[in-house]
Amino acid sequence: MINLQNGSPKLALELKEISKVYPGPPIVQALSEVSMSVAHGELLGIIGSSGSGKTTLLHIMGTLSIPSSGSMFIDGRNVVGMSDKQLSGVRSQQIGFVFQEFFLLPGFSALENVANGLLYSGISSDERTERAFEMLGRVGLRHRGNHLPNELSGGEQQRVAVARALVHNPAFVLADEPTGNLDSENTASLMELFSILNEEGTTVILITHDLEVAESAQRKITLRDGRIHSDLSH
Amino acid sequence: MNDSTSDKFTDLYSQMGLKDIFSVGSSGLRTRRVRAALSVLGITIGIAALVGILGLSQSGSADLLKDLDALGTNLLTVQAGDGFRSQQASLSPDAAAMIDRIGPVYEVSATTKITGGVFLNDLIQDGRTKGITILAADLNLLRAQRGSLKSGKFLDEMTSQFPFVVLGSVAAERLGIRNTSGKQKIWLKEKWFIVIGIMEPLPLAADLDRSAIIGYPAAGKFLGFEEPPEIIYVRAYPEHILDVRSVMPATVNPENPEEVQVGRASDVLEARIAASDTFLNLFVGLGVVALLVGTIGIANVMVIAVIERRNEIGLRRALGATKFHIASQFLTESLLLSVLGGITGVVVGMLVTAIYAVSRDWSIVIPVYVIAGGIFSSILIGGIAGFYPAMRAANMSPTEALRTK
Repeated sequence: MINLQNGSPKLALELKEISKVYPGPPIVQALSEVSMSVAHGELLGIIGSSGSGKTTLLHIMGTLSIPSSGSMFIDGRNVVGMSDKQLSGVRSQQIGFVFQEFFLLPGFSALENVANGLLYSGISSDERTERAFEMLGRVGLRHRGNHLPNELSGGEQQRVAVARALVHNPAFVLADEPTGNLDSENTASLMELFSILNEEGTTVILITHDLEVAESAQRKITLRDGRIHSDLSH
Repeated sequence: MNDSTSDKFTDLYSQMGLKDIFSVGSSGLRTRRVRAALSVLGITIGIAALVGILGLSQSGSADLLKDLDALGTNLLTVQAGDGFRSQQASLSPDAAAMIDRIGPVYEVSATTKITGGVFLNDLIQDGRTKGITILAADLNLLRAQRGSLKSGKFLDEMTSQFPFVVLGSVAAERLGIRNTSGKQKIWLKEKWFIVIGIMEPLPLAADLDRSAIIGYPAAGKFLGFEEPPEIIYVRAYPEHILDVRSVMPATVNPENPEEVQVGRASDVLEARIAASDTFLNLFVGLGVVALLVGTIGIANVMVIAVIERRNEIGLRRALGATKFHIASQFLTESLLLSVLGGITGVVVGMLVTAIYAVSRDWSIVIPVYVIAGGIFSSILIGGIAGFYPAMRAANMSPTEALRTK
């Protein structure tokens, strides 16, 4: 891979002095010169209380929001300054999202929901289904493929959402409070799934306010008032 | 930041085939069937109304035009108009002969009204004449009208000499007479006349339908009636009909041509076609209003869909959908709704036209432009109704769309 604009190809994600200001009024400085990097194969937890800037950081890392200043590299490529269309392309191929509310589409089976993860990547319908089927197997839900979301438990729905986030083999998965709507049993089970997937090579970025959930991450970054307060590995 | 960045990432563009755009666009309808059906209904009613109205009007006009074709547009009626003198002007006794001398004229048939009542028998002369007029007529009257008989026969050389009568369709109905075997008598101006024929309705001269028609010789012999013709029916070759019409007054009454009224019998039918066109415009207007309401209905449903499916829009953007993909999803949905309504409307409109036309013995006429127009306008409606919601969905910020309550 070609190294463009000082991004390291060994890193899944690299942020350099990222700031985000909401013009307001009132003007809000959500992030101040945040610099961090995530290597391929890492399981990173980003922890912060409400208002710490973690949602803004998630949106910027997911290219859903554009930083006010700084640069960001995904797989070594600078994505700041890209057009909306190019950013959509980056998301369709390099980023996987897992949301607190699962966001499975009603009326679509579990298999179709997973295949939707490949919908915008230009892959044929047959191949999408094939890969979705394989991915459902990896999250242990092959037997639930034909079920609609409302026929699945909360834990199963979140597993389907994880499968959807991984089906296109992204550079990293952004999980935004993934256990927020799950009971403790399903939380443990989902964290175990993330650990297994991480061991298999998936880069996972967990954004959470739950310290217990963050415990399973090898590295924890704490955000406070839009700045990195601590960056600890264990 | 480097401008060359953008060029290096063409391999990362989101892509979506037409089949997928269609499939994603129809997903909203599949998952919300009742709502989709109800919003389709508005367009269905509008298009069905338009197709039905245009189809029925065309079928009806086709029927009138067929009548017109059969009856001809070359029948002139000549009668005395109001003169400068105080009394009603009348035609000269030899007017028919003079008209016959006009080159392109090939049929001349005169009638004269005779004052008097027509009754079923001599016992019920209570002044109630049932609105039936007695007419003395030439023998070729039926031919000049291109009319036909419901039963019996028309007056001929022999029967016009004697007290025989032929009844118009309405006159026969009012008297309750169906028998033309020669046994049915009627009390006509205080003389018995035998009914020998009943005519079918004559669309070009409705007055004749309410008449009891006898021969001029019989009128003279039995009723002592000797008056000049009152209305003369003239058939001329169609290509010369306007010329004949223009020379008619001077031919009939060279001294006072302004006292002669010449009319074209088919004008009445043409006026009916024109009148039905006026109603057509009114109903088409109503159909357009229905379509407008349907359009607003679809636009409304689509705006609500965009608001309700905010999270879906956010998710799709996160999965890599471009603004164009999002816009095309909602535009496709709107187009599908309206085209579905359009096709159903065209089918319903055609069925209504066919059923009504068959029940009225009309020929079924549904012009291709009506069908094509129905489908085309539904596509247009889908585009118009879906444009704003699609733009709104496309321009929604992904972070805003992903926000939950």
